[in-house]
Amino acid sequence: MAILNKPDKVHQAIAWHGDIPITNRYTAGVAGERFFREVKENGKFMGTRCPECDLIYVPATMFCERCFAELDEWVQVENQGQVVTYTILYWDLDDQPLAVPLVLALVQLDGSDGGLVHYLGETDPEDVYIGMEVEAVLKDPAEREGSILDIRHFRPIQV
Amino acid sequence: MAMRKVAVVGAGMTRFVRRALETGKELSYEASKMALDYCDLTLDEVDCVVHGTAPDSFDGVHMKGEYLSDGSGAWRKPYTRCYVGGGTGVFAPIHGWYHVASGLFDICLVVCEEKMSSCQPHPQGAFLTIFDHTTERPLKPNLLWIFAMEMNRYMHTYGLKKEDIALVSVKNKRNAADHPCSLLGDANITLQDVLNSEVLAWPVQRLDVSPVTDGAVALVLAAEHVARRICDKPIWIEGVGWNLDTAYWTNRDLCYPRYVEKAARMAYEMAGITEPRKQIHIAEPYDPFDYKELHHLEGLMLFDRGKAPEATALGITQRNGDLPVCPSGGLLGVGNPIAAAGLMKVAELFWQLRGEAGARQVPGQPRRGVAQAWGDLMQVGTVAVLGV
Repeated sequence: MAILNKPDKVHQAIAWHGDIPITNRYTAGVAGERFFREVKENGKFMGTRCPECDLIYVPATMFCERCFAELDEWVQVENQGQVVTYTILYWDLDDQPLAVPLVLALVQLDGSDGGLVHYLGETDPEDVYIGMEVEAVLKDPAEREGSILDIRHFRPIQV
Repeated sequence: MAMRKVAVVGAGMTRFVRRALETGKELSYEASKMALDYCDLTLDEVDCVVHGTAPDSFDGVHMKGEYLSDGSGAWRKPYTRCYVGGGTGVFAPIHGWYHVASGLFDICLVVCEEKMSSCQPHPQGAFLTIFDHTTERPLKPNLLWIFAMEMNRYMHTYGLKKEDIALVSVKNKRNAADHPCSLLGDANITLQDVLNSEVLAWPVQRLDVSPVTDGAVALVLAAEHVARRICDKPIWIEGVGWNLDTAYWTNRDLCYPRYVEKAARMAYEMAGITEPRKQIHIAEPYDPFDYKELHHLEGLMLFDRGKAPEATALGITQRNGDLPVCPSGGLLGVGNPIAAAGLMKVAELFWQLRGEAGARQVPGQPRRGVAQAWGDLMQVGTVAVLGV
């Protein structure tokens, strides 16, 4: 086995910073357009149902990935659900510590086979658990833009 | 199917380092040259070249397959780059395998490279761009989110503690102390060191995860008639498999990698393996995180679901245990230059099965091993079975 000679002082090597300047404009798609419009305009979460596979996709999809049926049966699902799993983030994207840890959770929405990844708020990170019942907190209608961020976060349902 | 037998006849590997002076081309060249020298082949004798490398943004070169082609020996040759994210390192030799098994080519050079240190300030920023632009990216999550949530689900499902999982990191970093190319080998690391390392995204701590790395690995594949002529002990690619699960989080079983099981079943069937726990002597599952080694051992059907941690605690997966797992030191110990790390696992099986692994040699003359990688949107499994 041969081995690369490791330079001792690589930080002294000639180096420069460059970037690849690219900006994108994304659409949410045929199904995504309707899903996010429902959230923005009506504060409702909608899924699409595949009758063949008996699955309700959330966020809604235009087709079933399992049987390739085109999906046109739209159903409203709940704005609440259960924490399937979660993490507590202590570092940001640049590998710098966060001032306040963030809780990110996968929430399966009641009445669906899908769900959303989003922040958990209005709770102490220590109190979060798998199986916790949570509900979506939406921005005020005037502030909504048709984005996933129209949901501020999910929060525990007060019993 | 009328497919030809294909063997690995040579391997080469650069040292895995935090930041290499070498460009990606030069890293590719170093590994490729070593692999060809190993089996006394010249570039002229290579019929085709396969390159595997992960997202372009790590090296900061758009279409880096083309950029890396000269260092990979592709000048005026049939050349393709293949890519299945982190699964690329084991997929690249599969891609090479069907070039040769099909009868199209006799000798194929397989090269995997990554220069992650180019990405500033940290490759996490590049990783973020792989997630769904509408539903996930606006949340600007830390890269570790997806792994942390999967690990949490795995721990919850089987009632595991951090200690049960951190033992994998200890084992692999200790194993890597015997690897001359390793970035993170540490013969003296303890369970407490891992448990005391800082929390990045709970339950993932600093020493649960493999770091940003630069490096390259290359293999030479040959058809049977060539392999028998140029190599005293060819290591045969006996079976290959790959499989992709849904990219939708909630439609996937986060505590069990079904896609790895499906890939393994494909590879085992091709290799004629009916009882993997008896017929496989070494495993090199993908271990970018300590829990992933356990997850993957279960997906490879080498242990029952939820039982890989217990086997680890009992020492079964140690280099001198009943089923040595990551005797190389894995990604946690040797380092994680994405695609190169996966190919390193296949190279390790080559050296182990030839009895050339030096201080890392698994005792008892192992005759068959399995290597596996994982990636894309954390839902691809790639599997290769190699044997004497």
